[in-house]
Formats: sequence, structure tokens, C-alpha cells
Amino acid sequence: MRSNMRIDQIGGVIKAFPAMPGAALKLLTLADAPCATVQQIEDALRQDPGLTANVLKLANSAYFGIPSKIGSVRQAVMLLGLKRLVQMVVTTCAGAVIDRGVPGYDLPAGELWRHSLAVSVAARGLAAELKLPAADEIFTAGLLHDVGKLILGHFVQEDYPEIERALAQGMTFEAAEAAVLGIDHAEIGARVLAQWSLPENIVHAVRWHHAPEKFGSVDIMLDVVHVANMLCLMIGIGVGREGLLHEPSPIVTRRLGLGPLHLEKVASQTLQ
Amino acid sequence: MNITVSVGDMKTGRTGDILVTHALGSCLGLMVFDPVAKVGGLLHAMLPLSSINPEKAKGNPAMFVDTGVPLLFKSVYEMGGAKERLIVKAAGCGNPMGKNEIFKIGERNYTILKKLLWKNNILLKAENVGGTASRTIHFEVDTGVVLLSCNGSKGPL
Repeated sequence: MRSNMRIDQIGGVIKAFPAMPGAALKLLTLADAPCATVQQIEDALRQDPGLTANVLKLANSAYFGIPSKIGSVRQAVMLLGLKRLVQMVVTTCAGAVIDRGVPGYDLPAGELWRHSLAVSVAARGLAAELKLPAADEIFTAGLLHDVGKLILGHFVQEDYPEIERALAQGMTFEAAEAAVLGIDHAEIGARVLAQWSLPENIVHAVRWHHAPEKFGSVDIMLDVVHVANMLCLMIGIGVGREGLLHEPSPIVTRRLGLGPLHLEKVASQTLQ
Repeated sequence: MNITVSVGDMKTGRTGDILVTHALGSCLGLMVFDPVAKVGGLLHAMLPLSSINPEKAKGNPAMFVDTGVPLLFKSVYEMGGAKERLIVKAAGCGNPMGKNEIFKIGERNYTILKKLLWKNNILLKAENVGGTASRTIHFEVDTGVVLLSCNGSKGPL
């Protein structure tokens, strides 16, 4: 009964969660369109000068490694391509919400953001190390996989004694969330992203990132995000109160052909 | 002074310093203390063997147990620490749930540590390793007291 009540409350918070800015949504649609023009992209970003400024700042950051200075949206599209520009827009929008501290999971301000970026980098590194054809969206999926924690954190905090009792029975942390609150952070994240109209493969990767074997199909991107998330928690990036109370999937390990040395190599590259 | 030791890092201190490291998951936290010289060091190593990424190890030996542990002892000796007086404590080396051996980096970190210590005739005075907890360490170099926070509780190691 209690968890039913909680589900209603949580559902309300999901609906009230900040929307993706209009310019970002427009750009996401354009990224899927086969013949989007640079002009259309410029027009979409022109609606939001603040967003444009932040995107250009990110495009010029060391992370993307572009040697010349990018001064305009047109130049950014030319040098980076539309897909990467969209990644940057999503990163910029997500950064604004993911940066804050998360109660319940005991993550100080900035830590979930650090974890999200690290999972993106590790996911890309794993795909390269395993020579897997991962989708372009892997960066965005890695970045947004834990967005549900921002909503669930408050409820985890309130019901922590019950969650602890569930954990004492040997459950994973996300199973304890679902047992006590009726929903886990992965499902909440997927609902937020569906609300933001993000591509379906990203929504699936976020929904099943702790239980990839429960996804009705096989998606390399999901498998890689699952492993990258586990790895980043293990090396202490964004690991909060739940510690390592998660279970890496043996099925995923097998189908990725993942070995201990792959994992350790990627770990050594992920830390800046 | 509080000195923070981040992942893949090693710091030393003297009387008045507190060496702090957060979020030890599968990483190894190793504390070395000389009660007479009142010097100590704390290592937060991420991976067992430097052979996985020799280039990284060259720039940052503290990232790996096999290069970080010798670096820690050497640094404490250079500050006046003597091998026969050293008190050595270990924490961390956790693993995720389940039996997936591939993810047992914590276990592998611990194995390499034990091998190194055994080869050099060094015993651990205390340890809090394994399990699924994320651990935080506060090491007071003045007294050698190591406070371990994990699962919401705090106590001496």
C-alpha cells in the first residue's frame, strides 16, 4: 500500500521534472532527419543564445580535442558533425540538472555529474577496446543513465531504514529501491527521457542499465553502459551510500567477450 | 592540515596532518605510519598491475598496486621512517555482488598487495577489506589513528 502511495508521489515529481529546452528538442529531431541542413540547425539554436554559448564553450574544451577555435554554430557543425553537436547540446542541458548534490545516495554536488561523464568516457573506451560497433548515442546514454537518481534520492532518503532492511536480505540496491518505493532509479530515468522525446535506444539503455538481461532484445550500447557504470562505481567515481551493491551480468560479460584485462585497461584510461 | 588523496594518488604527511581519502570501492587504501618519526603516507591505488598501462604507470605509479606500494614505502623512508617501526594498515578492495570473476578488481588488488608485503616481510597490523561497502579514511599522522567510515558508521581501524 505504502509503495503505491510512493509511486503516485514519484510519478508527480517525474511529470514536474524540468523539460528539455525547445532548441535541444528541435535539434534532436533534426539529428534523426536524413537531410537536415546547417541552416536549420543554426535556426534551431538561434532560439536559445545561452545554450549556443555553452555549446560553443564545450566544443572548444579539451575533451573534444579540436585544435582550431570554434566560433560559430556553422563551424561547429562542419568540424564536429551534427551527431556530435547534438551530443554537446544534450550534455550542456543535462549538466545543468545533473550537477547538483543527491540526497539519499549521499552524493555531494558535482559527484553525479563526474560519474555521468566518466561512464560516457568509459563506455566509449570499452566499445573501442572490444572493437564493438556501438551507436553514436552511447555518449548520451552514458551521460544520462542515472538521471532518475535526481528524482528518487529524496524518497530513498526518507525511507532509508526500510531500504536497509531490504538490503539485509541480500538484494541489490536497485532491487531494494523497487521493493520499498515501487520503482527504481533506472525506470524513473527512462520515463524522464521518454518525456524529453529522446531516441528509443537511449531510453532502453537507461531503463535496463542495471538489468540488461531483462531487456527483451540485445543492444550492445546497453551492455556497454551496464559494464561502464559498474566499473566507474568500482573505481570510486560517483559511488555513494549504496557502495557496490549491484550485480554485473554474466550474460553481458559473455556476449561482449569481456575479460579482466579489458576492464582494467579501460579503467586506467578513464581516470583523467 | 587536511590532505586529500584522490584515486590513483599517494600523499605523505607529518604531525598535524590528516590524510583523507574518499570512496574506496575496489581500490586499495594503504596506510603506513612510523610512531617515532611521526610520519606517514596514504596510497589510493586503483588497479593491481602496472603492466596493463605502462605509459600511465610511468607518469602516475600510484595508480597501480605493484608500483604504488613501493612508492609509498620509499616516500615514508625518505621522510625519516624506518622499516622496523612501520605500522601498516589496509582498507578497501571491495567487489560488486555476484560471482562474476571479471569484476573482482578488489580481490586482485588485495592479492598483489599481500604478495608484495610477504616478499618484503611486512605484516598488516589491521585491515578492513572486501565486501560491497564504499569506505572513507581519515588518517591522523600525529597519533597514527586511522578512522574508517563505511555504511554510515565511523570507527578506528
